[in-house]
Amino acid sequence: MDPNLAAMQNLPQAQQQQLMQAIEQMQVRDSLRMYNSLVERCFRDCVSEFRSKDLNAGEEKCVQSCATKFMKHSARVGIRFGELSSEAESQMQAMMQQQQGGK
Amino acid sequence: MAQPGQPDPAAAIEMAKQEMDYRVNLFNAMVSSCYEKCIDKRYKDGELSVGENSCIDRCSSKYWQVTGIVGQMLGAQGGMQ
Repeated sequence: MDPNLAAMQNLPQAQQQQLMQAIEQMQVRDSLRMYNSLVERCFRDCVSEFRSKDLNAGEEKCVQSCATKFMKHSARVGIRFGELSSEAESQMQAMMQQQQGGK
Repeated sequence: MAQPGQPDPAAAIEMAKQEMDYRVNLFNAMVSSCYEKCIDKRYKDGELSVGENSCIDRCSSKYWQVTGIVGQMLGAQGGMQ
């Protein structure tokens, strides 16, 4: 279980709700931030000429590929992040147990 | 009100929020850095190549290790302010 979740369930009910709301707000804010940064990234990487006010076919395809690629990349990093995170957590717990066992 | 010996719930919430903030920022920085280092910007299609996938895995691992080293060094200097 995610150690943060476990710690959260030790808090009283009112605080749990507060925390859930805070998490939700952070997620909304983070989605919006990601949306904006993705737009900026794909614009920067794909659009560089301004002979017309409309995107040409190449630019459009580039933006679609850019967005798709970034989402897939972000998902993969998310998986690795979770793995690295749990691994670090269990290493820490093992270390703590060793220290307690040595007393 | 905080009881002696009991964890202060307000402080616990604040710490939990800060911990979460830290993790979100760390994740976003990891995504951003590894994107710059691994992804081919020619965008021929929307798929990640095998090479890009491997690069992402290794980049994430290395980024995490850098986080650990820097954390240790900051800790050794007497804690983060």
